[in-house]
Amino acid sequence: MKGMHGIIFSYEKRTELGTLTDQRIYGSVPYGGDYRVVDFMLSNMVNAGITDVGVIMHGKCQSMLDHLGTGKHWDLSRKYGGLKLLPAFAYQENRESGGQFRGKLEALGCVMDYLHHIRQDYVVLADSDIVTNIPLKDVLESHIASGADMTCVCTSRPGRPADTYFTLDITGRIVEVAYDVNTPAGYQSLNIFIMSRELLLGMVQNAMAQNNYGWRRHILQDKCGTLNMRGYVWDSFAARIDTVQDYYNRSMDLLRPDIRAELFNPQRPVYAKENDAASTYIDPAVECVNSLISDGCDIQGSVRNSIIFRGVKVEKGACVENCILFKDTVVKAGATVRNVIADKNVVFSENTSMMGHEHYPVVVAKNSVI
Amino acid sequence: MKKECIAMLLAGGQGSRLYVLTGDMAKPAVPFGGKFRIIDFPLSNCANSGIDTVGVLTQYRPLELNQYVGNGQPWELDRRHGGVHILPPYQSATGAVWYKGTANAIYQNIGFVDLYDPDYVAILSGDHIYKMDYDRMLRLHKEKGAACTISVMEVPWEEASRFGIMAVDGEDNIVEFAEKPKEPKSNLASMGIYIFSWKKLREYLIADEANENSDNDFGKNIIPTMLNDGEKMVAYRFEGYWKDVGTLDSLWDANMDMLTPDSGLNLLDDSWPIRGRNEVCPPTYVGEKADIGNSAVARGCTLLGEVKNSVLSTGTSVGEGATVTYSVVMPGAVIEDGAQVHYAIVGENCRIGANAVVGAPPEQAEDPEQWGIAVLGPRTCVAAGEKVAPKTMLDKHHGEEAAR
Repeated sequence: MKGMHGIIFSYEKRTELGTLTDQRIYGSVPYGGDYRVVDFMLSNMVNAGITDVGVIMHGKCQSMLDHLGTGKHWDLSRKYGGLKLLPAFAYQENRESGGQFRGKLEALGCVMDYLHHIRQDYVVLADSDIVTNIPLKDVLESHIASGADMTCVCTSRPGRPADTYFTLDITGRIVEVAYDVNTPAGYQSLNIFIMSRELLLGMVQNAMAQNNYGWRRHILQDKCGTLNMRGYVWDSFAARIDTVQDYYNRSMDLLRPDIRAELFNPQRPVYAKENDAASTYIDPAVECVNSLISDGCDIQGSVRNSIIFRGVKVEKGACVENCILFKDTVVKAGATVRNVIADKNVVFSENTSMMGHEHYPVVVAKNSVI
Repeated sequence: MKKECIAMLLAGGQGSRLYVLTGDMAKPAVPFGGKFRIIDFPLSNCANSGIDTVGVLTQYRPLELNQYVGNGQPWELDRRHGGVHILPPYQSATGAVWYKGTANAIYQNIGFVDLYDPDYVAILSGDHIYKMDYDRMLRLHKEKGAACTISVMEVPWEEASRFGIMAVDGEDNIVEFAEKPKEPKSNLASMGIYIFSWKKLREYLIADEANENSDNDFGKNIIPTMLNDGEKMVAYRFEGYWKDVGTLDSLWDANMDMLTPDSGLNLLDDSWPIRGRNEVCPPTYVGEKADIGNSAVARGCTLLGEVKNSVLSTGTSVGEGATVTYSVVMPGAVIEDGAQVHYAIVGENCRIGANAVVGAPPEQAEDPEQWGIAVLGPRTCVAAGEKVAPKTMLDKHHGEEAAR
């Protein structure tokens, strides 16, 4: 069958997101007022015409399972194909890992049966933790046209050192794969890979036989010389977030119109879980400026430079500045909140004040009452 | 498989009193309250009341409505058995006729109702804004052993002569029905929401169809005939917000009611959620110089100017220096920099050019008698700098102004 199959990895990373990832894996962290991080990659796949998507899950996946459900919000609740959730139980029986997630290659080995049933000729592998709006259809077309064995999406925008970097020759072929080097050079990997189903199956089978588990080490680095791997350079907005400060900065980026235009392209909409919240109400007596505001909110206090998720209540006399308030946060009358990231259902009581710093935002854990 | 109660939703109304606003669509498909369409209210009430089978009777410009209702998934009416069904008039062996009246529309779909063999049928209207538990009404209908239960609400006595008025006895049995009486005997107005025992209604529909003099209408024919025949007819008293949004003024009023907490219309209350088909779009961006007050704002808007006492629907934008007051702006409308919109209904995907002026506040009217809401039909373009006077209606072909 022509076309492409999608596989999304959703596992725990060693991130420094603190309490934001206490009860969820990275892909289900809320982002941008209305989304979970995974919505972006799922939407990328759906917008490229992908009908079958497998999500490999490991770790605290309850929030992710709840979010994805049957996949109907992404039109992936299908009689044939659609969304398949591939949870962690395969690891229990797996020999060496002791139930731990060691690498993506091993994770693929654990769902070998599933891989055998892929109906499409091509497969795209992607992480759930990247916020970008990329036309995967174009990437596939370029992959086919180039005759490469594998196409790896990467960016020339500056990133952090502790990551995978590709060196490309003038034809776009990857000639070197470096990881965690002091002075990164070349293109940072965005961990989106396209290859044929046959190549993927062969590589996973070989790796299992040899007890190789790491995608970067055992595929990207080991096969760099033998496989024709090419870089696809994608320099639009792409956020991979590992620290609270990153999360805060990349969220605030959304207040810039150019970034919003890159991420919210009407031709490639970002689908999120649907809800029936009514319109947001904004009171006459308040200042509400330079903010991104979802629906179902009741804004009776002032809001400035903030990202406000669905169902947030800001009472009279309250002041919210430079904040990210997740779903159903309540800022009671007279409270002042600045440079704070509030997780779901947080309540800031009357006349309290809480302040972080632009370079050190404070995170308030889910359901806290301040 | 049998259903206890199914609903038939009359959505064929031409909406001629909404003039240009209905454009190419049927009235129930007209947007309401920023995120919804009028038909979301009865459909959500059905879903919330446990009615999982709904026939939607359409005939006038049905395309947009059909597309909107789709498989019923937004109202959880996508069911293995039952669910939502669009019922246009169809051709039978003896020929094809349009729906002649509300009762005839149900008559033509007796076959559809019989598929579910229901004990009761709720007849609903597609142009009312209200939240109502039909299950409570059904319980009353069963308790009383009625043939027909009609939902009524108290209206101010001085307005009673504008409604269909039900006179009741001490136990709320309906004893008399009068359409727009000059001297009302009661202030209980019919809301146009009925529950019938299906066997009874079926008989009356067939008899009504055989009567050549009948208008085949529930209010004019079926209800009075049943009353004359001494059938048990009961009034169900409804308390809460209800508005017929069949006219431009009432549609504008009902939207404004969203902004007034004591109007009784609270869409943010999620104990009885109104569900709808959502456009996929990001949250709204409110700009650095924006001044938003007492307004309801849906998603996907970009608001850079001043917005006061208005309802802004999904995906609208208001440019820098633009002002919008006391207006209802429907999905996708664009109000460019410096434009002024006052006391207006701006239809879907309209574009109001820079520095154009649409409508005016009543206090600025030269002749208060001639003042009214300005209305732009869907996809109307107002050129930069152009003025649209109050009480004007424009449609997308422009020029075709129609005084109300």
